[in-house]
Amino acid sequence: MLTFSYYAPTSLNQACRLLSEAQGQARLLAGGTDLLIQMKRNLVKPQFLIDLKKIKRLKGIEYDPEKGLRIRALVTHSELLHNPWILGYYPILAQAAQTIGSVQIRNKGTVGGNLCHAVPSADLAPPLLVLNARAVVRGLKGKKFIPLEEFFCAPNQTILKDGEILQEIEVPRMPERSKAIYLKHGIRRAMEIAIVGVAVLMALKPDRRTCAEVRIALGAVAPTPIRVVEAENSLQGKIIAPEEIEKAASIAAAHAQPITDLRGSAEYRQEIVRVLTARAITHAARII
Amino acid sequence: MKHHNYSIIGHRQPAVDAASKATGQAQYTVDIQLPGMLWGKILRSKYPHARILNIDTSKAEKLAGIKAVITHKDTLGKKFGFVRNTADQYPLAVDKVRYIGDEIAAVAAVAEDVAEEALALIRVDYEVLPAVFDPLEAIDPEAPLIHDGQNNISARLAWEFGNVEEGFGESDFVRQDTFYTQPVNHCPLEPHACVASFEPPDHLTVWASTQGVFYLRNQLSRTLDMPISNIRVIRPQVGGAFGGKIELFPFNVCAAILSQKTGKPVKIVCTREEVFTATRCRHPMIIHLKTGVKKDGALVAVQARIILDGGAYNSTGPVATYLAGAFLCLPLKARNIKYEGFRVYTNKPVCGAQRGHAVPQIRFAIESQLDIIAETLGLDPIELHLKNAVQTGDVTLNKQVITSCGFSECLEKIKAQRSPALPEGKGIGFATCAFVSGATYHLFFTTEAFANAIIQANEDGTVSLITGVADIGQGSDTVLAMITAEELGIGVKDIKLITADTDLTPYDWGSGSSRVTYQAGNATKMAAAQVKKLLLEAVSHELDVYPEELVARDGRIFVRDRPEKGISFAEAVSLAQKSTGGEPIIGQGEFQPQEAKVNLQSGEGNTSPAYSFGAQLAQVEIDKELGKVKVTKMVVAHDCGLAINPMAIEGQIEGSIAMGHGQALYEELIQEKGQTLNADFINYRLPTARDVPEVETMLVESVDPGGPYGAKESGEGIIVSTIPAIANAISNATGGRIHSLPLTPEKLLKALEQKTK
Repeated sequence: MLTFSYYAPTSLNQACRLLSEAQGQARLLAGGTDLLIQMKRNLVKPQFLIDLKKIKRLKGIEYDPEKGLRIRALVTHSELLHNPWILGYYPILAQAAQTIGSVQIRNKGTVGGNLCHAVPSADLAPPLLVLNARAVVRGLKGKKFIPLEEFFCAPNQTILKDGEILQEIEVPRMPERSKAIYLKHGIRRAMEIAIVGVAVLMALKPDRRTCAEVRIALGAVAPTPIRVVEAENSLQGKIIAPEEIEKAASIAAAHAQPITDLRGSAEYRQEIVRVLTARAITHAARII
Repeated sequence: MKHHNYSIIGHRQPAVDAASKATGQAQYTVDIQLPGMLWGKILRSKYPHARILNIDTSKAEKLAGIKAVITHKDTLGKKFGFVRNTADQYPLAVDKVRYIGDEIAAVAAVAEDVAEEALALIRVDYEVLPAVFDPLEAIDPEAPLIHDGQNNISARLAWEFGNVEEGFGESDFVRQDTFYTQPVNHCPLEPHACVASFEPPDHLTVWASTQGVFYLRNQLSRTLDMPISNIRVIRPQVGGAFGGKIELFPFNVCAAILSQKTGKPVKIVCTREEVFTATRCRHPMIIHLKTGVKKDGALVAVQARIILDGGAYNSTGPVATYLAGAFLCLPLKARNIKYEGFRVYTNKPVCGAQRGHAVPQIRFAIESQLDIIAETLGLDPIELHLKNAVQTGDVTLNKQVITSCGFSECLEKIKAQRSPALPEGKGIGFATCAFVSGATYHLFFTTEAFANAIIQANEDGTVSLITGVADIGQGSDTVLAMITAEELGIGVKDIKLITADTDLTPYDWGSGSSRVTYQAGNATKMAAAQVKKLLLEAVSHELDVYPEELVARDGRIFVRDRPEKGISFAEAVSLAQKSTGGEPIIGQGEFQPQEAKVNLQSGEGNTSPAYSFGAQLAQVEIDKELGKVKVTKMVVAHDCGLAINPMAIEGQIEGSIAMGHGQALYEELIQEKGQTLNADFINYRLPTARDVPEVETMLVESVDPGGPYGAKESGEGIIVSTIPAIANAISNATGGRIHSLPLTPEKLLKALEQKTK
């Protein structure tokens, strides 16, 4: 029989202390869209369940024209979809959130949960990677700032240590003359886990033809969501042309390390990375 | 389209149980709560093939909250099976387990999680045996034997009409292909479930999510060795079945035995994983197909050799093997036909009936190959079908009697819908189907009656329709209520339904093989006509006219030529009761198909009293770089006989398309060494509401002489043509041809790569 102790702390401090005292036997509960299913299937059997939903500090989205965006861990995917700052300044996040699960899952699932669950296919990871986001992590000893690239360590494993909780994600302003896009490959039009996810952020020089900066991130094709710097470097400073796009896309595909699983073969995923990267670059470079 | 003067029949009628389902008032098996009720759970094999050396239940029995643990020793060790003379499955494994999921023991406990905990405490010692998963390996004489016998062939049927070798010789063009289909699950929204309550000394009541209460009762009676009159089977509302709830399952028997042992009611509800792996799935097939045609497309010879991967037990195997061969050509005619079907045991989940029962697989192959042939010869595939189309009055080579056929009209309607030129990346595909309106008597080797109905008129102007039909969500209760209302001239709301309870209702075989509208519909119409006769006689005396001058309509019985002269239906019932000295006003009806004599061995005989026909067009949009297929629209022309409830028929057609669309593009039970890897709804992809295409339905109402008001089937036929229509559309758009289901993006990319080589 599944038995556990349930806690609902009202402050982050309390939560960190409970988590630390549990010595690895606790799980944090946010939206529960992954955790509760795993618990029902006996895949995880936590002794302690620490529900974060009573902690006000973990809720809400803030925006500052200078500093950028702050998305707290308990923000749901549906909130991303309807937030005017996100729709206005970071539409890629709404676009990625739209592809997650179903309406019901988007209403419950959270940004913090999506990232901390650390599945390679997490839909919010590639967009946040190309936005150069960083994680604000709270522990008993205070706050830490961790670039998102360093946040994911392995499937289902983040850099967070015992007693540490993801508090929020900071997203800097997007560069001048830039546009970002997330393309997800799934079979169905809803309720899909990404077979491949590709995010591209493209900033152009004032000539609006030359790549000032490009960032490319991939989901579901490596043990963690990854940036592909080699592909980025091949485009940097170049005039955007079909052959340059193809080259960068091929490099991205070559750097993907997909596995064969129920959702697709490694070979097929690599090909999809190439196609979607090329499409995403083309689309992002089309800045109006 | 309206070609009749019916007041109820042919009009759009929302389902009689729609409101109770939409508001959550409908009671399903899982909703049943009885005092002292226990939860049952099944211990299943974790090996695909093993001998059971010992089962130690002592620890489980000692667990607090456990009320009973049973193994095969607590059963009578009687085998059961869908077809009686090929019964091969035990309620609980006796000596061997034959697939991962095979039932070994069952427990009853005060709560579901206690029952689960007890399962983990049962110790089973196995001797693992070599297993075989590939049907081609299983058919080898050297393969490990799954059942006692000479080999792993669970059914073999073969026949030839005409001479195909001569036929191929006379043909201008001969094409040979091999097609493969995959295992899929019905995925009913409501999982399989039952509640069994044993009342001493010897009476058993079972509430079950089932397609047929009488069939289940008979199977329980044999397996438990109890007289049928001591068993009562009741069907609460059923949340979908699609062929997957037509049989007896071991958990039904276990619930009954557990209840007998504990003296308490026992409920067993399958988990979704159990539904996927331990109920039934659609037969995967390997189809070797050879077709010879004349230059003008006339079909000369069709030869098929089919291997059905049956899984661990026989289930509906012989019937599936027969149906695949019986529908090798229909709705088309060929001059020579040869069929050989092998159903093979493998150490995998069991395959049985599913919507279309073995016909969608064979039709995927045939319609794909005809499309290839048409393209090769530069023929229009619709013209090719028109040239070979079966017609009313035809008797096919295997002696299927075509009593009504609007197939050519379906083809003409579809032809008119075909848009001429399509832009790059878009395509259309065409395919056709034929299906049964219920099977005939001898196919199932049953001695039971086929369909009965009783109707009693009440003096408040309502009638009670008492029938054993188990509506499983398809809307048959509504159709039977409409037939009753039409015949008696009252409203659908005036029909009180008492259904699917073996103690209260007369026999009906159940909701299977698309039989209810045709067969139970006829029985119901006959019962209503008897009631009407009694009422008209009484009214004729009262009004001093002949009964033939009277009409029952709009809640009244009146003189045809002088409508103002008449009385209300309620008054007529009172009058009739008085005139007979208080006898109840009851009518009864039955339906038996004509002596059909289907011979499974020779393949000869009339499969069904009537056949539906259809043609459809699939429109697709393809992303050639990703291999992604989007079905944008389906246009269907369906000859379902007279459409009793057009609204329900459209629903059935849309349902067939949703299911066929999933099976064409997404669905597959992925099995590795007998283990199902995707027994959940995230990795087994059903189409969502956002994926299912727009459907345009055109009904072709050939009025069948034997159907009630001329009705035929509409529940299954269209899934048959949905799958090949999508396959042909993909080929039309890309030039790539995929010979195996499902038609995944990955396979499409490979097919396109091969084409450019």
